[in-house]
Amino acid sequence: MLSVTNIDASYGHAKVLHDISLEVNSGEMVFIAGRNGAGKTTLLKSIAGFLKPSTGSITFDGKSIMELPAEKIALSGIRYVFQDKRVFSQLTVKENLEIAAYPVKVSIADAIGRVVSIYPKIEKFLNLRAGTLSGGQRQILLIGRALIGDPKLLLIDEPTEGLAAGTINDILNVLSSMKGKVSMLIVEQNLSVVGMLADKVYMMKEGKIVQEVTDKAQMNNKIQLEQCL
Amino acid sequence: MINTIAYGLTIGGILYIISIGLSLTFGTMRIVNFAHGLIYAIGAYLLITLLPVARNNFILGAFLAVLAIIPISYIIERFVVRKLYGVSIDYAIIATYAVVLIGVDLIKWIWGSSPIPLSDPVGIDVAFLGITLPLYRLIIIALAVIIFIGLAIFFKKTMVGKIVTAALEDKDAVRSLGINVDKYFAYIFVIGSCLAALGGVLYAPITSVHPYMGSMVLLLSFAVVLVGGLGNIKGTFVAAFALGMVMSVTGRLWGPAAETMVFVVMGIVLIFKPIEV
Repeated sequence: MLSVTNIDASYGHAKVLHDISLEVNSGEMVFIAGRNGAGKTTLLKSIAGFLKPSTGSITFDGKSIMELPAEKIALSGIRYVFQDKRVFSQLTVKENLEIAAYPVKVSIADAIGRVVSIYPKIEKFLNLRAGTLSGGQRQILLIGRALIGDPKLLLIDEPTEGLAAGTINDILNVLSSMKGKVSMLIVEQNLSVVGMLADKVYMMKEGKIVQEVTDKAQMNNKIQLEQCL
Repeated sequence: MINTIAYGLTIGGILYIISIGLSLTFGTMRIVNFAHGLIYAIGAYLLITLLPVARNNFILGAFLAVLAIIPISYIIERFVVRKLYGVSIDYAIIATYAVVLIGVDLIKWIWGSSPIPLSDPVGIDVAFLGITLPLYRLIIIALAVIIFIGLAIFFKKTMVGKIVTAALEDKDAVRSLGINVDKYFAYIFVIGSCLAALGGVLYAPITSVHPYMGSMVLLLSFAVVLVGGLGNIKGTFVAAFALGMVMSVTGRLWGPAAETMVFVVMGIVLIFKPIEV
């Protein structure tokens, strides 16, 4: 489904990604793990069209998406959920969903229904300003917002970052409920979360993929994963 | 004193109409658009040209002048401003200032350098609390309030308004949902330019129309935008009237300091509430 082949990417003269290659197949939940500054977010940004790689290729469903602007990549079926729980805080939860529904021509009722299907509690917050939601609720709103229009692939950046243990469980439940229905490429530093959900893990260090882990036993072994970093 | 207040409100009304467009383009695109003042001047000149076409009907002439700004502002947005998205703010200043230089010379070439006076289109004074005020000025104040309410409804109720509100906060997040933000910024640029032209049209009968009339009003508008907050409709409204009042009261006490005081207030506000550009 998604194929990234030998990409390099830079911010100005600073090269951040070095010869990255990865694959995400249909229905797979793939994680990218690594320490701060390893280039994980840069990799997601490169796939989502917010940073143009200098070399290599990125194909989605067999078509090159590397030259497309971010909005066209989104419409092709890839949605990017940013780090830092970036909801439109001045707008209500319902208006956040309305904006997501507009470009994919989904009715607001269907959009709300889609998000309620993964997190029923959101119905209570529809008329609240998104800026008043808790960190966990914001994260779920972002994931729900990205699901409107049934994308084929979600890119999610640090979904559990800065959240309390109880809230992380809510996020895990949401991600588990989506598993198999939509492909996901998730950046995550919490190796316990990775071990619980991943079909495949790419370990990143200093802008390079240092290991691809597909063995479930190895994924569940935090110490072994940490040794890769 | 009431006369001073009335003058301050008139200046505030005009400043709001001009500044809100600048605030929205500055807030959404992060582009310092010097051409905004040029559009204000062109609006006034187009009024002068189109008034005979409209058989001296001021409302029709003003409408046609604002309408004529749409293609002009679209050309500036499409071929200059759109190329400046995301680049350093310095390039925007240089490029839009170049547009001003070209535009001012075109104005001189088409309409000449001499100031052109325009009479009060209403020509009626109304008595109010013991003083007489030109009705035209009261109409300007009322129009500013109507535009403020109209824009508030536009941003709250329409999809374009909601998308722009979201993009003001996080442009990339809007793009990540599949929305071509630049298209909506172009709408806002054209709406903002139409409002600048309307400001020029409305202010033309109060002042004289000349090629450089946009320069000072642009600086005052920047002060309003910085005090009111980038892309902040309510803040711009309050700041425009507050600074209009500052100009009016200072002008009454010591005329030469009227405009300077606006920038003193702006400086004080920025000390306590700095902005990120």
